[in-house]
Amino acid sequence: MRCTGDIEVRDLEEVAINIDPIQAGGRLTADAMKAIIAYGDGYSVCDNCRKPFRLDHIKKPPLDAFHHDLARFVGMDEARVMPGARRGFQAVADTYVEKGSPVLLTALSHYTEFLAIEAAGGVPREIPKDAKNIITADAAASRIEDVTREFGRPPALLFIDHFDYQFGNEHQVREIARAARAYDVKVMYNGAYTVGIMPVDGKELGVDFVVGSGHKSMASPAPSGLLATTKEHAQELFRTTQAKGDITGRAFGVKEVELLGCTLMGATIMGMMASFPHVRERVNRWEEELANGKIVIDALRSIEGTAILSEYPRKHTLTRVDTRKSFDRVAESHKKRGYFFTSALSEKGIGGVIPGATRVWKFNTYGLTKQQAEYLASAFTGIARENGIPVS
Amino acid sequence: MSRRAVDAVFQGLFTLTDIRVMLRRTAPLHDLSEEDRRAVLKHLADLRQQIGILEEELL
Repeated sequence: MRCTGDIEVRDLEEVAINIDPIQAGGRLTADAMKAIIAYGDGYSVCDNCRKPFRLDHIKKPPLDAFHHDLARFVGMDEARVMPGARRGFQAVADTYVEKGSPVLLTALSHYTEFLAIEAAGGVPREIPKDAKNIITADAAASRIEDVTREFGRPPALLFIDHFDYQFGNEHQVREIARAARAYDVKVMYNGAYTVGIMPVDGKELGVDFVVGSGHKSMASPAPSGLLATTKEHAQELFRTTQAKGDITGRAFGVKEVELLGCTLMGATIMGMMASFPHVRERVNRWEEELANGKIVIDALRSIEGTAILSEYPRKHTLTRVDTRKSFDRVAESHKKRGYFFTSALSEKGIGGVIPGATRVWKFNTYGLTKQQAEYLASAFTGIARENGIPVS
Repeated sequence: MSRRAVDAVFQGLFTLTDIRVMLRRTAPLHDLSEEDRRAVLKHLADLRQQIGILEEELL
C-alpha cells in the first residue's frame, strides 16, 4: 500500500512487534496522531501568535503552559522545546564552550555530543568506562583532574548520559554531578533514554542542564526534544538577541539566539504536547516496563550460548545481547546464512532487528504489553528450538 | 461552509486513529479481547455516523 507515488505506507507498528532499540519510546500515542492530523500544515501553531511573537508565549494552542509543564516535569526552572536532543547539546555547548576549551564526555557518549563540542570549538576528553561498562564518579573526578592539569583550567562542561545508547546501562549521574560541582564544572544531563519513560528530576540529581528527546522517549514526532535549566543559567542559555541591522536598524525582539528564534512550529510540538499527559503518567509505570522486559531477557538467557552484555539485572528496556554462540552458530550453516534470524523473526511478526544481525545486537521492549512481551519471549525460544539450540 | 462536514471528517479520522492504535497494541496477531471488540463496535458505529453526516452535507 502506498501513501502516494513512491511513498509506501509505514505499517511496521501495525503488523509487527517492533523492537528497534531507538524507536520504542518515540511511538506516538493516539492523541499525538490526532494532533498531527489537525496540525500537519507548516506553521500551524502560529495562527494566534501575538506579541512578543515567540513560540513559548503562544496561548492558543497553550504552548506557554506546555513549556512551564515541561520544566516542572524534569525538575528544572525553565524549558524550551528543541528539534531533537542534539540541538539541546549544541545550544549548551555554544553557550559555555570557548574555542580550545576542554569538555568532558564519556566512553559511551552519543556521537552528537562530540559534534556539539566540535561545532563550538571545544576539545573533547573522555571519561573511561569500567570493566562493567559503567561510568563512575571516581573516573569522572580523576578525569577532571587530568584535564585541569592538561589545559590549565577545568573542563567547561561535563556531558553525562544517564543511560547510554550502547548498553542501556545506568551511570552514576548523581555522584558524578556531585564530583563535578566540587570542581565547579557544569553538568549537562543527557536524558535521551530517560526523560519521558522514567521519572527525572534534574535539580534533585544536581545537574545544570537537562536534555530530553521527544522522538526517542516522549512519544513524539521527529525532530523534537527539550532543553531545561535552572534560573541561574536560563539568562545565559536562553539569552535574547542583541543583533541590529546596520542599514535598516532592525532588531528582533525577544528571539532567543541559541534557538534561532522559534523551534518547533507545527506538527512536532503539537504531537509532543498531545502525548505529554500520557508521558507524564507513564513514567510512573517504569517498573512495569522493566517487568515486561524481564520476560524477554529471561527467555534469551534460557537459550544456550546467548549472553546479555548489558548490566544485569536490567535497569532499562534497551539491552545489548550477544548471540554469536547461539543464533549465529545456526546462521553459519543455514541456507539464509546471516539473514536466517531476522527472517525467522519476521515470519513471527517481529521487526526492528537489522537484517544480518545474528551476532551482537540491541533491542528495546519499551511500550510492549505483557502479552506482546510474552509473545516475543516465546518467539525467541521457539526459533532456538526449531533450529536445535537447547533451551533450559 | 459546512461546519458539520468538517467536524465529521476530523471525527472520522480520529476514530480510525483509535482503531489504528488498537492494531498496534495487539500486533502481530490482532487477537482482540472482549473489551477490545466492544470498543471496535463503538468505533465502527461512530464512523458510520460520520459518513452519514458527510452524505447529508456534501451529496
